[in-house]
Amino acid sequence: MYKTFIIIQREYLTRVRKKTFIISTLLFPILYVGLIFGMGFLAENSKQNLNIALIDQSGYFKQVDLDRENTLDPSSKISLVTERATDVLKDPEAAGYDGFIRLPKLDWRQGSDQIFIEAKKSYGSGTTATVEAKLNRIWNRIKNDSLSIDENKQVILQASQLSIRSKNMDDASSNANIAEVIGYVAGLLIYLILLIYGSQVMMGVMEEKTNRIAEVLVSSVRPFQMMMGKIIGIGLVALTQFLLWIGFVLIVYNVSKASGESMSAATVMVGKMQQVFTGINVPLILFCFGFYFLGGFFFYSSLYAAIGSAVNEDLREAQSLSFPITMLVIISIALMSTATANPTGPIAVWASIIPFSSPIVMMARIPYGVPGTVPWWQLGLSMVMLVIGFLGTVWFAGKIYRTGILMYGKKPTWGEMLKWVFRKS
Amino acid sequence: MAELLQVQHLKKYFANQKAVDDISFSVEEGSIFGLLGPNGAGKTTLIRMITGIFYPDAGQITFQGKPFDPIHDVRHIGYMPEERGLYKKMKIGEHALYLAQLKGLSRSDAMRQVKIWFERLEMESWWNKKVEDLSKGMSQKLQFVSTVLHEPRLIILDEPFSGLDPVNSNLIKDEIHRLAKNGSTIIFSTHRMEQVEEICQQIILVNRGQKILDGTVNSIKQQYKQSQYRIGIPALNEAHLAEAPFELIQSKENEQIARIADGKSSNDVLRFLIDRSIPVHSFVEILPSLNDIFIRLVEDTPVTRQFQPA
Repeated sequence: MYKTFIIIQREYLTRVRKKTFIISTLLFPILYVGLIFGMGFLAENSKQNLNIALIDQSGYFKQVDLDRENTLDPSSKISLVTERATDVLKDPEAAGYDGFIRLPKLDWRQGSDQIFIEAKKSYGSGTTATVEAKLNRIWNRIKNDSLSIDENKQVILQASQLSIRSKNMDDASSNANIAEVIGYVAGLLIYLILLIYGSQVMMGVMEEKTNRIAEVLVSSVRPFQMMMGKIIGIGLVALTQFLLWIGFVLIVYNVSKASGESMSAATVMVGKMQQVFTGINVPLILFCFGFYFLGGFFFYSSLYAAIGSAVNEDLREAQSLSFPITMLVIISIALMSTATANPTGPIAVWASIIPFSSPIVMMARIPYGVPGTVPWWQLGLSMVMLVIGFLGTVWFAGKIYRTGILMYGKKPTWGEMLKWVFRKS
Repeated sequence: MAELLQVQHLKKYFANQKAVDDISFSVEEGSIFGLLGPNGAGKTTLIRMITGIFYPDAGQITFQGKPFDPIHDVRHIGYMPEERGLYKKMKIGEHALYLAQLKGLSRSDAMRQVKIWFERLEMESWWNKKVEDLSKGMSQKLQFVSTVLHEPRLIILDEPFSGLDPVNSNLIKDEIHRLAKNGSTIIFSTHRMEQVEEICQQIILVNRGQKILDGTVNSIKQQYKQSQYRIGIPALNEAHLAEAPFELIQSKENEQIARIADGKSSNDVLRFLIDRSIPVHSFVEILPSLNDIFIRLVEDTPVTRQFQPA
C-alpha cells in the first residue's frame, strides 16, 4: 500500500505541477465561455443588413407599415418599390438593393408559398426567416382588418396556445428539456475524460517502458502496483481538474448573482441555472457523475494501460492497438444520443447497464429522473455491473501489463495478449 | 562465510525456449560473484527470478537462510538492470528519493541516504537538475546510487559498465569493492569476461540456459590451463628443438611461447635450458583468459562468435 501511495503521489504531483495542466485547466472554461459569448456575438453581427425591394402586385402592403417594422427590426430594410420596378427586376444591385421580393397578385384568404428573395447571391434560412416574420406581422394585421378583428381579439388569438411537453408521473419535477441538456453535457464530459485521460494513462505507461525505467521499478514494486498507482494518480488529476472547474462555475455563479443587474448576460445565465437546479436532483446527479466517472475511468484506463505496456515507442502501434477500445467509447457516445432521444427505450436501458457504455449512457439518462425514468433496479444493476466490469478489466489489464512491460521487440497482437492473460504465472 | 543466496535447480521455460534450465549455485556473503554468459544465455531471466520479478517454474531460491519471499526480501536487494532508465522530466534529487521510497524507505530515511551518497559521489550540485540534462555517465551514476542507497544485502548489477568512460568505470569499480568490504554481496552479470577477471572472486558461466562452469576465477584458470609458458630466451636452433621437453607455439626474437610435453614439468624445461646454457630472462606460466575458456567450452555453438577477439 505504501508503495502504491508513493507512485500515486508521483504520478499526481508531476502532472498537476506541469504548466500544461494549469494552462488547460484555466483555458478550458475561458474558451468555453468565450465560445458561448463569441458565438452569440458573431450571430448578432453576422446578420446582414439587407436592403430589400418589395414589388407588390397584390396592393396590400403600405410603406408606413413597412417603415414601422423596419425600425423595430433593423436587421433588414424592406422598401416598397413602385417606380423603376423594371430596373430593380433587371439588376437590383445597380438600383441600390441587395435583392427583391415579387409579391404576386394574391387573395388575403390564401396567402402564397411561392414568394422568394431574389438576388445575385443566396441567403441562409436565418436571413429569410427575419424577412418572412416581418412581412407576416403586417400580413396578419391585413388579415385581421379584413376579418374585422380588433386589437383585443388579436391579443387573445396570439396569446392563447396549447403547449405540450413530456411529464413523468414518478418525477413531478423532471423537465425533459433541461434533463436532455444536463444528460448530454454529463455524458459528453465523461466521454472526453475517458478519451483524454485514458490516453494519458497509455502514454504514461509507454513512457515508462521506452525509458526502460519499468525494468528498474519492477524490482521494487509489483507490476500491478505500478499500474494501479498510475491509473489512480491520473484519475485524481482528472478529478482535480473537475473540482477546479466546478469551483470556477460556483464563483462565477455567486459573483454574478451578487453583482445583480450590472451583468445582464450573466444574470440571465444565473437565472437559468437556478431554474435548472430547482428542477433536478442535484446531489444524486453529482454522486452518480462521480461514480460513473471513476468507474468508467478505471474500466477504460486499465485497458489503455495494458496497451501502453504491450507496445513499443511507436505511437502508431499504440493507436492501431487501442483502436477497438476507442471505438467502444465512440459507440457509447452514439448510443447516448439514442438514449437522450428516448431515455426509456430498450437501447437506452441496456446500454446504460452494460459496463462498457454505462458510464456515458447512464449519465445521460439519470437527469430525466430517478426512479421515474431510471428505476432503482436499473441504476443499482448498472452500478454493480460497472464495478464488476472494471474489476474485470483491471485484472485483465494487470495480466497483460505484467508481461508486456518487460517485453521488447515486435508489437504483440490481441491474440498474443490474450495468451498472456490466461497463462499461469 | 555464510551463504547469502542459494539457488537450487531453478527452471524457467518460455513458450519457445528453456531460458533457465536447471541452474544451481550459491553466493557467499560479502563476495563479488560473477554471472557470465553471452547475450540470450538466460542471465537476465535468472536475475529476474532472484529479484522476484519472475516466479520460477521449478526450483528453489534461499535468501538469508530462508525461502525467498519477493514481497519482503526486495527491500534487501538492489538491482540495476541492463535495460535501465529514468524519468526524463524529474529532478535528480527527487528521482533518487522516489526510487528509495519505492524500496520501502521512509521519506526522511531516503533523504538521509540520498544526501550521503550524493556527497560521496560528488553529485550534490545536481540536485535540482533534470534527468534529461544529464550526460550518459552522470545518469549511470544516478542509477548506481539509486540501486545501492537503501543499503541492500544483495546488489545485482547487470552490465554496470556499459557506456561508461574509464574514469567513471573506475569510480563505480571502487564503490563495488567498498560495498563488498562493508559486507554487501554483489552479483555482477556481464558478457565482458575481462571485467570479471579483475573484479570477481567466484563465477558461474551460463550458456543456453545451463550452467557450464562454476568456481573461483583462479581455480577455473588452473583447471583449464594448457601447460603454456612464456619463456624469455633467444630463438632456439633446430637441434635444441628436436630434443626439447616442449613444443613451440610461437617464436619471437627474445620470447618463446611453449607448451610443455605431457609428463614433463616446468622444472624439466628449466633444467633443459640451463643444461644447454641458454640464458633465461623470464619464465611465466600462461593462464588462459576466461574468454578463451569460454570459447573453448562453447566452441560449436553459434554464440561463440561474439566472444572472438575483434
